[in-house]
Amino acid sequence: MTTAITSATKTVALECTDAGWITTFQDLGRRDTERRGVPTGGAADQHSAVVANLLVGNPRGATLIENLGGELALVPDADVLVAVTGARARVTIGGAPVGSWSPLVVPAGQEVRVHAEVGRGTRTYLAVHGTLAAQTLLGSTAPDARMGFGQVITRGSRVLLETGFRGFPRRYFEPPLFRLPVPVPRFDEGPWVVDVVASHGIHTIPGIREVIEDSEYVVTPRSNHVGLRLDGPVLHPDTGAEIVSHGVPVGALQIPHADELIVLGRYRSLTAGYPIVGVTARDCLPLLGQAGPGQRLRFRWTDHESAVRRLARREAEVRALEHAVAEAFAALGFKTPRGLAVSGAPLPGNT
Amino acid sequence: MTTAPFTTVAVEPFGDSAVMVTVPHLDQAVRRSAIVAFRNRFLAHRPHGVLDVVSGLESLLVEFDPLRTAPEQMEYAVRLLARLPDDWSERPRTVREFAVPVVFDEETGPDLAAVAEEVGLDPDELVEAIAKSTFTIALLGAAMAPMMDGLGLPRPVRRRAEPRTDVAPGALMIAGDNAIIQPFPGPTGWRVVGRTPHTVVDISRPDPVSFGTGDVVRFVPVTRDEAAALDAGFLLPVGVSL
Repeated sequence: MTTAITSATKTVALECTDAGWITTFQDLGRRDTERRGVPTGGAADQHSAVVANLLVGNPRGATLIENLGGELALVPDADVLVAVTGARARVTIGGAPVGSWSPLVVPAGQEVRVHAEVGRGTRTYLAVHGTLAAQTLLGSTAPDARMGFGQVITRGSRVLLETGFRGFPRRYFEPPLFRLPVPVPRFDEGPWVVDVVASHGIHTIPGIREVIEDSEYVVTPRSNHVGLRLDGPVLHPDTGAEIVSHGVPVGALQIPHADELIVLGRYRSLTAGYPIVGVTARDCLPLLGQAGPGQRLRFRWTDHESAVRRLARREAEVRALEHAVAEAFAALGFKTPRGLAVSGAPLPGNT
Repeated sequence: MTTAPFTTVAVEPFGDSAVMVTVPHLDQAVRRSAIVAFRNRFLAHRPHGVLDVVSGLESLLVEFDPLRTAPEQMEYAVRLLARLPDDWSERPRTVREFAVPVVFDEETGPDLAAVAEEVGLDPDELVEAIAKSTFTIALLGAAMAPMMDGLGLPRPVRRRAEPRTDVAPGALMIAGDNAIIQPFPGPTGWRVVGRTPHTVVDISRPDPVSFGTGDVVRFVPVTRDEAAALDAGFLLPVGVSL
């Protein structure tokens, strides 16, 4: 049973038969380019992107496909192994419903179709075992619209894949092949709760801590990958003390002159003039990456210790999946990338 | 470059995975040059767990992996580095020099006349003052735009009250005592005074720009015909000095 699952790689073409509103190549973003004026960018929901890649045996940062709105559909010309994660979605292969957040075999000539449910997250991720052929800018396939690097996949595009996958020697209607410990986020129907660590600017606006804590905010359609623009009550500083251009972490809560709250995203640039009252805990950034227009948000102040503890817990879950996938695929004689071996990096300290 | 007074470096947590570093000093010029020098030193040593740094005009945002390090450790590393004696290895690299041809007319520089009036010059004198200024690239702004210091005008230039929505690539823009070249079409609140026929950022190249912080830029006024005759492609330096 372990024969002929992987061998030398070959090129497979995936024809895009539906691209929805916008579909692009994506990865985890750029490293070390911020000081040269290029934001990190990358998948808005990094957790879903990482898990999609792990589920097909790819490295965490492999190039995958991100869809925002509508339906994404692909037809491969050879069997491929895919996984769909991100927003709540109906996934079908050849019209038959299958599960998301799980490795799936798409047989040659069959269509895999992803239809995101409205209001339960905005972005879906589709990873395919192997390496997708995509252009890079400063070492990353993540789009950067500002620099004219669109990376857009449209209906009719043929996406090329280098893959060693040869299909599993088993029948299509057998029970699921894998039972993996997958950390699936919940995109609840009610308001999403986002943890925020207070920052210096909070002292420049008396009462803002209470206002933000007690209010509900709604994502407006003017939001994009630079920032989520939220409707809801804010306060402004009394004085117009000058704030010169400075860098800001992803997830910073900024109060512009207008009555709105902005949460900066992965494509933010330097900011000037507006106070930053807090920064979203890193653990909650994937959730924000899924917030679309109309999404209600509540903010909860947290401290550094608690924020990092939650991040460590999530990382441990992802690491556990990584190990389980490596073991399952190794048992099938299936090649996973170097560094996924069980003897890999140690688990992060859970302090 | 003079030795910066790093002993007064300030470090402040910014969220759960970043700290903001500044060099408090009464003189703005010292604050700005000191933070550039500190950034070079910091990157030359790059403490464990650092993911990226973001340069501001007077600050350095240090982003780190909070599972590998902590704000306290990062602050400690920053203070240790600040106390290090000056070291030849972090001296600024060679400086590239650029002579950038620019067409200054009503079409390429729609704000030329208004800026001239604001600073008390006539438009020709304004162009002359820009051409006489020696600029230094202070940082790469959004989309790798070269942000420069060194504009020598009688007074700082105000930004536009209402930003322009679609400024062409190559536009030379000024504000305060700074200049910047627009690399891609887009909005801006800066005052547009001219345009270079060169491509300043080319994403099809492995390194999309030929300049970096510390490089020196002069602007050379050319006519529209001269600009067309240049057949200007990707902007390259005219010289390199130590």
